[in-house]
Amino acid sequence: MAAWPLIDAALAGPLRRSPGRNALLVIAIALGVALGFAIYLINRSAADEVSLAARSLYGLADLSIESAAGLDENLYPRIAAVPGVAVASPVVEVEAKLAQRRASLTLLGVDAFRSRQLQASLAALAGTMATDSAAFDPHAVFLSASAARDLQLGTGGVLEIQVGEKTEQLRVAGVLPQAGLEDRAGVLDIAAAQWRFGRLGKLSRINVRLAGGARAERVRADIAALLPPEARVTTPGEASSEALRLSRAYRSNLTALALVALFTGGFFVYSTQSLATLRRRREFAVLHALGVTRAQQLALVLAGSAIIGTCGALLGVALGIAAARIGLGAIGGDLGAGYFRGLAAELEVHGTEIVIFCVLGVMVAIVGALRPAIEAARVPTASALKAGDVASRELRTHGRVVAAFLTLAAMVLLLPPIAGLPLPGFIAIALLMIGAVIAMPSIVRLALRHAPFVRAVPYQVAIAQIAGTARYATLSVSAILVSFSLMVSMAIMVTSFRTSLDQWAQRLLPADIYVRLGYVGQSAHFDASTVQRLARLPGVAYFETGRFARAQLAPDKPPLTLVARSSNHMAIADALWTTATAAAKAPQDAVPTWVSEAAGDLYGIRAGDSFEVSVAGQRLHAFAAGIWRDYEHQNGAIVIDSVAYVRLTGDTGINTVSLWVQPGADSHALESRIRDLLPATQFDLRTPPELRRLSLQAFDRTFAITYLLELVAVLIGLFGIAAGISAQVLARRGEFGVLRHLGFTRAQIATMLAIEGAVLGATGVLVGLLTGAVVSLILIYVVNRQSFHWSMDLAAPGVLLTSLSAVLVAAAAGIAIVSGRQAMSTDVVKAVKEDW
Amino acid sequence: MSPFLAVERVSKSFAGARARVVLHEVALQLAAGEYIAVMGESGAGKSTLLNLIAGLDVPDAGRIVVGGQDLAALDDAGRTRLRRARMGFIFQAFHLLPHLTVARNVGLPLALNGAASSSIAARVEEMLAAVGMLDREADLPNQLSGGEMQRVAIARALAHRPSLVLADEPTGNLDADSAAEVLALLRAQLERDNAAGILVTHSEVAAATAQRTYRLTHQGLRERGT
Repeated sequence: MAAWPLIDAALAGPLRRSPGRNALLVIAIALGVALGFAIYLINRSAADEVSLAARSLYGLADLSIESAAGLDENLYPRIAAVPGVAVASPVVEVEAKLAQRRASLTLLGVDAFRSRQLQASLAALAGTMATDSAAFDPHAVFLSASAARDLQLGTGGVLEIQVGEKTEQLRVAGVLPQAGLEDRAGVLDIAAAQWRFGRLGKLSRINVRLAGGARAERVRADIAALLPPEARVTTPGEASSEALRLSRAYRSNLTALALVALFTGGFFVYSTQSLATLRRRREFAVLHALGVTRAQQLALVLAGSAIIGTCGALLGVALGIAAARIGLGAIGGDLGAGYFRGLAAELEVHGTEIVIFCVLGVMVAIVGALRPAIEAARVPTASALKAGDVASRELRTHGRVVAAFLTLAAMVLLLPPIAGLPLPGFIAIALLMIGAVIAMPSIVRLALRHAPFVRAVPYQVAIAQIAGTARYATLSVSAILVSFSLMVSMAIMVTSFRTSLDQWAQRLLPADIYVRLGYVGQSAHFDASTVQRLARLPGVAYFETGRFARAQLAPDKPPLTLVARSSNHMAIADALWTTATAAAKAPQDAVPTWVSEAAGDLYGIRAGDSFEVSVAGQRLHAFAAGIWRDYEHQNGAIVIDSVAYVRLTGDTGINTVSLWVQPGADSHALESRIRDLLPATQFDLRTPPELRRLSLQAFDRTFAITYLLELVAVLIGLFGIAAGISAQVLARRGEFGVLRHLGFTRAQIATMLAIEGAVLGATGVLVGLLTGAVVSLILIYVVNRQSFHWSMDLAAPGVLLTSLSAVLVAAAAGIAIVSGRQAMSTDVVKAVKEDW
Repeated sequence: MSPFLAVERVSKSFAGARARVVLHEVALQLAAGEYIAVMGESGAGKSTLLNLIAGLDVPDAGRIVVGGQDLAALDDAGRTRLRRARMGFIFQAFHLLPHLTVARNVGLPLALNGAASSSIAARVEEMLAAVGMLDREADLPNQLSGGEMQRVAIARALAHRPSLVLADEPTGNLDADSAAEVLALLRAQLERDNAAGILVTHSEVAAATAQRTYRLTHQGLRERGT
């Protein structure tokens, strides 16, 4: 109880005294926590769902043997005979193109008797299958609950799929229980799947359940010894992690971006608490004179900030859960990026997560207040109690500290990604921003030294005021500096990416019309005869074809996309955006390939290298004739000539046909002729402008969420300006009183404050632009490259950045004027009676 | 000769929970070169009287004429311009602008009145020499002692040659020696510029440096000894 008067005087009192500022702090922390938590929850819920769905494909299996090129079915009895294998269940997995839809459905061809021992859902249906022989009916399919829901099909319904150019029908024999097969998929008899999808003699994988007491590692090694080089043994856990791998970089980057708002909030706390310490300088001196120890002062300031952090964190967690719920419902688990299309993730919040984000919010508030608290504890009591005392205008430049931060940032950038994530890049960005904030007062002073001479007294006093209080004045703009830097860097990165994507789309789409049927691993494709008929249509000048398949470079890595292109009209190297070309020609025994940047990064392939790749179970000795820029295949892609592909695989199917219209011919008439030629085939027909528009739409949808995150960070930064300037203005009421005594008009004081606000805002914006530009280079050349393996050309959105800069400078000036008006509305003349 | 300052039956009260009449029909006349002291208890309205004379506040009743101009006829900007040109202020807590050097503090009223840079520099040098602070012109206020700050404040108050200097407890924060020094300096500077001065003080010693002493009570302003 003895401590209560002290707590009331030094903790509760100050918290009560500035309700507006404290409310802003709580809101800033809350927004930071809410954004971070919401994005995390959405990402985690979606990842859980994907993981669960991927895991459910394996049922109770302990191991899975798979190959992107497919396994020879003769391998199955040999695997089943390996000691320690209790059950081996063969699976044929096909991406069936849905008729009348742009989507596909995973179809699993299974052996009803074997799979029943691994899949609980199939076991549940065992009775039904036995009685009506549905399990062996080549026209029957069992849909998972999510597939049935999504396709709006029930038992007895008809599922229409495209195989080659034909539409085929499967009867829905039943709907599996949700828990048995979480993925959006269908199950049919393995023989039917092999026959229907042209996979005779081939398996996609063999799921294995170990016998009780069997040593998993031993069995795994025994099985591996039986496998061809392109096949691998995995566990269902590894497989489900792989399902998430593609979106992992996107999810991590988004979470990091979301946490920037909290980072900005930390700077807001720092600036606000520093200014409060300055304002309460005499109060701290009095408390110390009365016997409050330095340690108690430190603890009281930190406790105040912790209370604010706790309120903000609790509010933020509640807001975050609400935002995640709305986000999941409105834009889905991938937040518009398209990674988890068709996924219905449900929000589930764990107590530990709530605690972690609450602690994060409180820690940000405490760390932000640490330096101000130390300063409060160090207020020189004797001089602070004297009349006319002001805080020292001495400015330590911290040149070494800034240099240390920048050097450390540069050194961190040299580190490789950690666990596949560009963490060193993010750490370097944080170090750079902290360095910029520390350097800010010195930069302001340096800039003011070169400020133009203007005779107007308000200008001169304003400049002297900022120069004299550079350390505190710049605190107001530290939060906006951080958030504006981020916005600038993101704007430059997104513009660079968008511009490069647009150029790429134009470069890779030189034809006039694109006709497409099916994609990698999908059942639909054109026959060679159809392509010839398309090419002979009146109005067609030239044509090229493309076929998508899977290729495996390393068994422990996911397959990449193989694109087999014809070169009737354009050489492959001319049709791609090559960024590097081999100096030498391909060796006689090697097939020339063009490797995407992602594949080059992932497998360490450079132009001129030779490598082995497995395509449709065949080994290909390949030569990297060039490296090309590719924004489509995140796992990497290689392009080979279609003649070489057909020679290697015998696969004559075609997925894309690019058509050049004869000069003077009507392209619309040609489009009609194409539709007339293939009346029963569900294909996509697009022109380059349409494809360009679609790709940019998808891009904008993916990045829409980032604009929201940046906006919130800038909003918190503006809070910082508002709170910082208003705190300073309030602390300077006495000064305004004196200026009024000396003959300053109210308009002159408003002008002076507007100049101060504009100068501070402009310096913050300029440093923000500079810092943001450097951060954008890190994002483009380090974070983005390590995350997605995409290169891009630098492009800055000049108009956007100029407008945004002008808005922020105007906002800073406006906030200063409004704060000044509020301060002047009270009796500033009386304020000269107060010591200041 | 008409007085430079005429305070005619001025009254002022403050509203609020504890509404009170601070000044009641106060009258005062002051000619150029006259220097008076106003004494009174705390809350008697001494500072309020100075604020009314400076045009920083307006009376409820009565009239104040400064240099022939009725303050009531001027708006806030007009009163500010008059104050800027014709008056100087000295405060108990010095109130030098903390981020301006000594020279720039002293030059501020001149700059506000539109003086040329060369004439500002010359006048600042003259004033700092007069108050014995020429060697400290580049210092900042927090590098000065209380007595030094008040000397600079006097130089600032008189730099633009005001006709009226209002000093509100200028020695309240100073030791006896410094106070005596500052008061002597103030009087000397007023005499040199033939400026009128009003010294508000609680100190008999300080009041003794003025030509006349008045006592302010809620009944009005009365010259001592009358």
